Amino acid sequence: MMKAATFQWLVLLAMTAVAVGLSQATLSDNAILAPVLLTTLIKGRIVIDRFMALQGAIAPWRWIVLGWLVLVLGLIGYAFHMAQT
Amino acid sequence: MKYKSQAVAKPYFIAAIGLFLGQIVFGLIMGLQYVVGDFLFPAIPFNVARMVHTNLLIVWLLFGFMGAAYYLIPEESERELHSPKLALAMFWIFLVAGAATILSYLLVPYASLAKWTGNDLLATMGREFLEQPLPTKIGIVVVALAMLYNLSMTVLRGRKTAINLVMLVGLWGLAIFFLFSFYNPGNLVKDKYYWWWVVHLWVEGVWELIMGAMLAFVLIKVTGVDREVIEKWLYVIIAMALISGLIGTGHHYYWIGAPEYWQWWGSVFSALEPIPFFMMTVFAFNMVNRRRREHPNKAAVLWALGTGVMAFLGAGVWGFLHTLAPVNFYTHGSQITAAHGHMAFYGAYVMVVLTMISYTMPLMRGRAANGRVAQMVEMWSFWLMTVAMVFITLFLTAAGILQIWLQRVAAEPMSFMAAQEQVSLFYWMREVSGLIFLIGVLLYIGSFFIKGKSEAATT
Amino acid sequence: MWFFILAELLVFGVFFLAYAFARTRNVELFNASQLELDQLSGAINTVLLISSSYFVVRAVDQIRHGRSRSCTYWLLAAMTCGGAFLVLKLAEFGAKIEAGITMSTNTFFMFYLGLGFFHFMHVVLGMVILGAVTLKAWKGGYSAASYSGVETGAAYWHMVDLVWIILFPLIYVLH
Repeated sequence: MMKAATFQWLVLLAMTAVAVGLSQATLSDNAILAPVLLTTLIKGRIVIDRFMALQGAIAPWRWIVLGWLVLVLGLIGYAFHMAQT
Repeated sequence: MKYKSQAVAKPYFIAAIGLFLGQIVFGLIMGLQYVVGDFLFPAIPFNVARMVHTNLLIVWLLFGFMGAAYYLIPEESERELHSPKLALAMFWIFLVAGAATILSYLLVPYASLAKWTGNDLLATMGREFLEQPLPTKIGIVVVALAMLYNLSMTVLRGRKTAINLVMLVGLWGLAIFFLFSFYNPGNLVKDKYYWWWVVHLWVEGVWELIMGAMLAFVLIKVTGVDREVIEKWLYVIIAMALISGLIGTGHHYYWIGAPEYWQWWGSVFSALEPIPFFMMTVFAFNMVNRRRREHPNKAAVLWALGTGVMAFLGAGVWGFLHTLAPVNFYTHGSQITAAHGHMAFYGAYVMVVLTMISYTMPLMRGRAANGRVAQMVEMWSFWLMTVAMVFITLFLTAAGILQIWLQRVAAEPMSFMAAQEQVSLFYWMREVSGLIFLIGVLLYIGSFFIKGKSEAATT
Repeated sequence: MWFFILAELLVFGVFFLAYAFARTRNVELFNASQLELDQLSGAINTVLLISSSYFVVRAVDQIRHGRSRSCTYWLLAAMTCGGAFLVLKLAEFGAKIEAGITMSTNTFFMFYLGLGFFHFMHVVLGMVILGAVTLKAWKGGYSAASYSGVETGAAYWHMVDLVWIILFPLIYVLH
């Protein structure tokens, strides 16, 4: 089980590296928005489901926290997208 | 009543109710002066009536809190009060000082009062709600400290529960934050900071602890729900109240010369302030639904439920209505504020004190609950006061919206007095609601004098 | 504890959205100001918090098997990362203050400093909680049968991490 946690940790580190790399690369603003948000979503899900061990927890808690994550990221994405167009 | 010394609460409650009546009378005088400007002039000018109305409110609520503390703390600590004599002595000192202060407002011009009471030694007067002359302010501190000593000694040597600890922390906070009222810097921005640290940190901070403790105490008694459940709720409620309330002070910094970022911080945190009040509502209803006994004092249960609902509406909803900076930009200092102030004070603090009185008074008079008729009259007074207050709030809100429109939004804004003229119909309707409220208060007082078969005392 | 975590998430969520929507009205200013941030420091801090969260997961796993001592070590490792985060963050704030930047400089820096400081205080609180848990674990206060204190402290710490996981890309990366 701890092997899985170590793997998740490495994924988190890799995702962070990807996000930073994307922002350093001279891509257009539009291009980095979706991938960066996606890496953040994956990171958030790992922390919520695995680290906080909410996967398999009694119903409302997991969905409230995951819902919070999706909602916040979604609206951030919307706001940034709106600012570009 | 389990302990003899709890009876010291009785004079406190009686004084509180007496001053409550006075507050309403002055409210009516003032309400009439809104539309008949020279009513009672020059005997009682508007500014004096307003000062008396608000100061009486604060003083009687303090009487109520103190009485509640003297009743609740011995029972929770499971021992007699450290010194009932000290508590009684403080009652008389506070009553005499309070009455003298109110009379001096009415009989002496405020400037002369300031001169005679040493305001030139330490200038503390002239700020809204903190108008009290220096000797009164010192008196409040002395009374509060003596009370805190008395209560702290009782708790220290007795059982410690969430309820008595929260109550005690609330009262300590009340006393400590009052000390800011002694500092009155010449710089207007700083002056406002210190003023809000009394006013806001009282009503949107430590008073909420006192209120939570009182509500939890009564709910345990009337519902018989496990203490553990109630205490868990209490902890969560007060934690939310403090988290949102402390930084929420920022919603008073918008336009007083404080840095602009307070518009963000004040808006976000004060937008969360309804949460603890909403939880109090859920808390009260939940506990009553899960009750394990039918307490004979139906009126007290009604007050407790009413507190939850009205506090949420008045403090929570009506507060949220104008707390966001972009909204407050228009509504600041309008009748919207008055609407919120009325319903919040009534729903949260007036009602919680009346809840406590309703539960404890029969016990102190040697019975578990009043007779059927007395309770029915009390419940009638509950509905009259509450419905009247809802209408006062609605009329003031309507007046406020119209006022803001005419005075601040319209293409050709009107001057203040011209706008006031336009909303006078709402002021008249508010005054009528006020009269109904007064009838409610009189019925309430009357309910104490109704004799009849009462429930036997069990505790 | 879960109630607090939700309340905290709510507050941070509102602030994140306030940032995102305040930005839409002032994109140029936000982008220009963002360039002044030390992205490397932010990235290192992300690695630190993610790692400390991972160490906390290991600590919980150890106590679940009744191994108090190694639970303590994992917790200490997590706190070391947390401490390093605080030091780096202070250096970052110090550099900004030296450059004469305050919350009143502009809306971007209001959010950067305000949210950063607010999160900073949460890390401090998380450290206090972890410290208390570590101390109790060190004294053998938890066992395989009773370790809910460790789990509760861990949940709070993961929340602090989760918030940073969003805060970092939002303020340092996205433009």
